[in-house]
Amino acid sequence: MKRLWLLTLLVWTGAVQAHIASNGFVVAEVKGQEISGSVELAVRDVELAVGVDTNHDGKVTWGEVRANAPQLLQYIGQHLLLSAQDSACVLNLGALQINERVDGSYVWLPFTAHCPAAVQRLSIHYSMMDDIDPSHRGLLTLTAGQVTQSGVLGGPSARTAFSVYSPSKWRTFVEYLQAGIWHIWSGIDHLLFLLSLLLPAVLIRRHQHWEPVTAVRPALFSILKVVTAFTLAHSITLTLAALNVVRLPSRLTESVIAASIIVAAVNNIFPVVTDSRARIAFAFGLLHGFGFASVLADMGLPSGARLLSLVAFNLGIETGQLAVVLAVMPIAYAVRASLVYRRAVLPWGSAAIAAVALVWLVQRALPPIV
Amino acid sequence: MAAAHLKSGSRPRSVWGRLLYTLLLVSALMSDAWSAPYIPSSDSQVLALLPAGARHSSVASRELTRTRLDIALPLTQFYISRARATGDLRFLGYAEAILAPWMSRPDVPAQMLVLHATILQSRHLFNASLTELDRALAMTPYDAQAWLTRATVLRVLGRYADANDSCQHLAASADPGITTLCIQSLRGLTGQLPNAYAVITALPQQALPPEARAWRYSELGEMAERLGDDPAAERWLREGLALAPDDFYMRAACADVLLREGRAAETLQLLAGYESMEPMLLRIAIAHRMLHDAAGAATQALLSSAFTVEQQRGDAVHRREQARFLLDVSWQPTAALTAAQENWRVQREPDDLLILLRAGQAAHEPKAAQPARDFINQQRLQDMRLTPYQAGP
Repeated sequence: MKRLWLLTLLVWTGAVQAHIASNGFVVAEVKGQEISGSVELAVRDVELAVGVDTNHDGKVTWGEVRANAPQLLQYIGQHLLLSAQDSACVLNLGALQINERVDGSYVWLPFTAHCPAAVQRLSIHYSMMDDIDPSHRGLLTLTAGQVTQSGVLGGPSARTAFSVYSPSKWRTFVEYLQAGIWHIWSGIDHLLFLLSLLLPAVLIRRHQHWEPVTAVRPALFSILKVVTAFTLAHSITLTLAALNVVRLPSRLTESVIAASIIVAAVNNIFPVVTDSRARIAFAFGLLHGFGFASVLADMGLPSGARLLSLVAFNLGIETGQLAVVLAVMPIAYAVRASLVYRRAVLPWGSAAIAAVALVWLVQRALPPIV
Repeated sequence: MAAAHLKSGSRPRSVWGRLLYTLLLVSALMSDAWSAPYIPSSDSQVLALLPAGARHSSVASRELTRTRLDIALPLTQFYISRARATGDLRFLGYAEAILAPWMSRPDVPAQMLVLHATILQSRHLFNASLTELDRALAMTPYDAQAWLTRATVLRVLGRYADANDSCQHLAASADPGITTLCIQSLRGLTGQLPNAYAVITALPQQALPPEARAWRYSELGEMAERLGDDPAAERWLREGLALAPDDFYMRAACADVLLREGRAAETLQLLAGYESMEPMLLRIAIAHRMLHDAAGAATQALLSSAFTVEQQRGDAVHRREQARFLLDVSWQPTAALTAAQENWRVQREPDDLLILLRAGQAAHEPKAAQPARDFINQQRLQDMRLTPYQAGP
């Protein structure tokens, strides 16, 4: 009787789900006519494709990969073809490196490609491993402007086309400006902090009492100092954080932001710092900048226009902030002399602000209860 | 006064400075944990160990597999066997590469169709697999392997009557012991569990051809699990593993028995060395979770990334595992239910029923698992593991 060699496959359906199938990784970023990125192939797949285990000992060493680099580069060059609107781009592969992934070592190659025209529709012909392992696929991460898309390359249809949408600089600017304004208006904590510092700006502390300022000039000057200090401070940290120079855990920044509101508000009730509130604005403004940055991190900075969008977002914050100051402070100035403002609005308003901020502080600082 | 203000203003700032510095350091350390491409420092650094059969072959030898059936057939079988023995999906790809030129020929040999069906089955493309098997059986009606594979596929699809029909066809060409196993295992799913269990238990090991002996243990283990006799299940599965240590199905089933009994440490012992296989890794992650140990996070991250890659590829192979991962490891009942429902559309084994019922309950949507309950009633499927969920909403 014929031996049923496959017999044990009968109960195999649960077990075949093993290992990771063969994948290549392509990361590409489009900027006008230029494409840059990297391509990765598993060392095991590299052996099958070009044969790098020269001494046939079943081990692929870095030396063997290096020695066979020309063949490998040629293979990749033949099996990864990029074109913009159906005109071929010229691919340049960089120096070999190694990348460790969950399922083993991969050969990692940076590349650049120059296309005959600005890329609008990127076609990728990916035929790596197609005659050796038809189940191999290339996993693509494609970025253009602030849009990142992923795709699967190879398989029955080796050629895949991606439309590359890259919004104009002006659109990006407006989008981030709006985001900045919207954030300062919806993120009421920043405004409460600023207001706590500005409420006493129309007053002056004398003999343990609040007295109204006598002229516009000192009030204006005081407001200007606080707003400028706050703006300067949060711009610094926002920039540092957005460019990934400094990173703080969000729980910490959010908690300190809440604490800063309490400090500023309580300072209005039991004044400690009266003539240099700008210092408080600056010191805590640094932390508020990290808070703004976390929003920006969620949105992501478009790689083509990082600085532009960062500036736009910051300008948006200043615009939103300025609008609130312009709406509130003239009123505060007008009613500064009234007893209601000095004895009720300032202390009780500040107390209310401090109470709200205290709730935030508890919520933000304590770990979530599961 | 002014000096005092200045002082009180400057002190907190130096504290801030210190705090900022500390946090900067911490975040810098954390970001270094991510790996990046690098240039190995030594030429002798080994980057990969090549498994047997995964070597570069010359154009000439590849040409031979296109023209010579007597070379292509055993090589394909070899690759499928390697995939089975190692759980390495790449071997299935190598087998497919050899089959591809043959499949486009008008006179494709029946044996090639059966092999293709096997690959399709293991990629969970069950209907495509059945099509190939029917094509093969139209050419060679007494191909025992084709009938057996057909019975398997139909069984996974929950089409027990059709599967039984395929088992009956085996009688004409296969060993009687194999035919008995095929038929009794189906009876065990359709209302005759205790009797089928007794028949297979009584089937002497010597009466079976060597390649079917592990299968018997695997069926017995599964049946004992469904009967609610976990100690017996463990005994059968461990005996089976002694005979066929590479049988991943039995190893996974044995791990499930241990996990059900809360024996997490023993589970880790059983699965040590099998971490590269996702179904094993899943059970390792569940065990880590039961033990609350630190290694769990890494395992969880590994599985997560594997599922993400699969999803990006569009492979549906691991839905059952993914559903169980979402339910038992990362505790996302709603997502688990979605995965279990998608899995149910593809396959209907008792484990698929179990995960759908469990996910439905965990997500507080027991109605979503009604198809599973209907299936159980229709088939009169007996499974003690399913009983707690059978009552329905």
